[in-house]
Amino acid sequence: MMMNSNSQSAPLLKEAAVKAGVSSTTTRKHFGLIEKAKDFMFAVPALIFLAVFLYYPLLNSVYISFTNWNMTKPVKKFVGADNYVKLFKNEDLYQSLKVTLHYTLLDVVLTLTIGLLLALLFNVFRSKMYAVMRGIIFMPHYISMVIAAMVFTWIYNGQYGLLNRVTELMGFEPIQWLTNPSTALPALVAVSVWKGVGFAMMLFISGMRGIPNEYYEAAAIDGASGFSRFRYITLPLLSPMTLFLVITTFISSMQVFQSIDIMTNGGPLQATNAIVYWIYTMAFTEFKTGRASALVMILFVIILVLTIIQWVVSRKQVHYEG
Amino acid sequence: MRDSRMAGEKQHRLRFSLRTSLGVVITALICFPIYWLLISSFKTQAEMRLAVPTLWPQSFHWSNYAEAFRIIPYARFFTNTLVMSVGIVILQLNIALMAAFAFAKGRFWGKEVLFFLVLAALIVPDQVTFVPVYVMMSKLHWLDTFWALIVPSGASAYGIFLLRQAFKSLNNDVLEAARVDGAGRFTMLYRILLPMAKPTVVTLGVLTFISSWNSYFWPLIMTNTNNMRVLSVGIAMLRDSIAGDEAMYFHIIMAASVMAIIPIVLVFTVMQKHIVSAMTNSTFK
Repeated sequence: MMMNSNSQSAPLLKEAAVKAGVSSTTTRKHFGLIEKAKDFMFAVPALIFLAVFLYYPLLNSVYISFTNWNMTKPVKKFVGADNYVKLFKNEDLYQSLKVTLHYTLLDVVLTLTIGLLLALLFNVFRSKMYAVMRGIIFMPHYISMVIAAMVFTWIYNGQYGLLNRVTELMGFEPIQWLTNPSTALPALVAVSVWKGVGFAMMLFISGMRGIPNEYYEAAAIDGASGFSRFRYITLPLLSPMTLFLVITTFISSMQVFQSIDIMTNGGPLQATNAIVYWIYTMAFTEFKTGRASALVMILFVIILVLTIIQWVVSRKQVHYEG
Repeated sequence: MRDSRMAGEKQHRLRFSLRTSLGVVITALICFPIYWLLISSFKTQAEMRLAVPTLWPQSFHWSNYAEAFRIIPYARFFTNTLVMSVGIVILQLNIALMAAFAFAKGRFWGKEVLFFLVLAALIVPDQVTFVPVYVMMSKLHWLDTFWALIVPSGASAYGIFLLRQAFKSLNNDVLEAARVDGAGRFTMLYRILLPMAKPTVVTLGVLTFISSWNSYFWPLIMTNTNNMRVLSVGIAMLRDSIAGDEAMYFHIIMAASVMAIIPIVLVFTVMQKHIVSAMTNSTFK
């Protein structure tokens, strides 16, 4: 290792010590401390940034959630669990959680199912054409949600949008996709699925390529059909990847915000008032900072629990395989 | 025997071309919204409203693009987005390089605990920190400046993690030799480790650039005048600023959007291979 220098580096140590402004009588022990301190200094900028912009705000948010703070007024009174009590008594919380969960489940199931089917179709080795197609399918993942939401808003437009032109051609009545309470949420999910399937496909493909070929060869000798190979080899061996995707997609979908802000503003009739959007309006249009922070904490606890579940389960899997 | 093998080969080839055709159709389908965005940006208002939509613009109306520049300070938004994204990339990369160096090659007390604190940052969502950071920025009078757009994103746990992995895989001999030559830590980091880990560093820079370019929530909160708005927020505003029937202006919104995704599409196309390998390498932490 770096600091375990043997005797031949002693002159070097001395030189470095002089450079560092340490008297030449410094013992080796002290010198080690200085070297360690110098190593540590390189981690300091990152630690300061994390402390100032992450850990302090995190603790501060916890504190704010126990106050009646309203950002427009300077008074900040400690009110105990009042914000939490009021939130849990509020019907809107359950509506918002229901909307968020509904959105998240639809998003996770559709993105992963379609992503897996795409992976099966597009996992072709050594084909330039397939590589290009995979690239195109993957690209929407990197297109800004704001712009994706704009394009879909135009496609969903009640009067002139492409989707209603098609429904009309097929002889149906036009639908107000984004202002109808029963279609607004699925319409939002569609944007997220469109952006997410390529990412899921890429990860599933990388998982599939990690499965040793011998399994398939053995199955072929046993005369296993294509479907049973998928069912008994691919699917079980993909499960770590699937778990990873389920949890990460779940967590990011729970935080849906941009598409709602662009496409529905939480409406119609709160049908798309997902939790982060509600937090945002509570904090920046109603200025109920304390209440909003309590809601943030509820969200954070949910995300924390999910992350711990993923961590525990993936540890277990590694253990089994090892 | 031979005939049957040839027949099998033929069947195999037929199945493969069917598979490819299906693949092409699906790729086209997924590509369609981007295509629709592009051609809508060239249509006139009248063409946007045709009962049977045209799949190719009747004529190319570049004036939609000029109009986008006229309605919102587009050039300003574009510059702001670029400055913010490049600023975040430079700051994040340098902080992550230094931290990764310390955590991969350094020795100091509490290293494991501190690295755990870095990784734990990955699970804290933006919403948890935005109110206190907003208040902090407001007290510093940084709201509506590049400081508020760039500085809070300075440390990226993901970046530190990725670079630490890259540095750990590098051999210590070169560093040891450099030390004997009297090289300081900055020289070791920027002259030796950085060139050796170049693919990871470049990929991280690209991913950071893309996500900063696309960010919306943070710039929306941290800015409040036209002078400091970024593209994502500006395009959302463009739509809100149009009074009445928004359908009248979608061709202009589409033009503004096309210009905003061009840098991302270019960067993605050039860097795709690196992005995919970095992404798949970092799934299991």
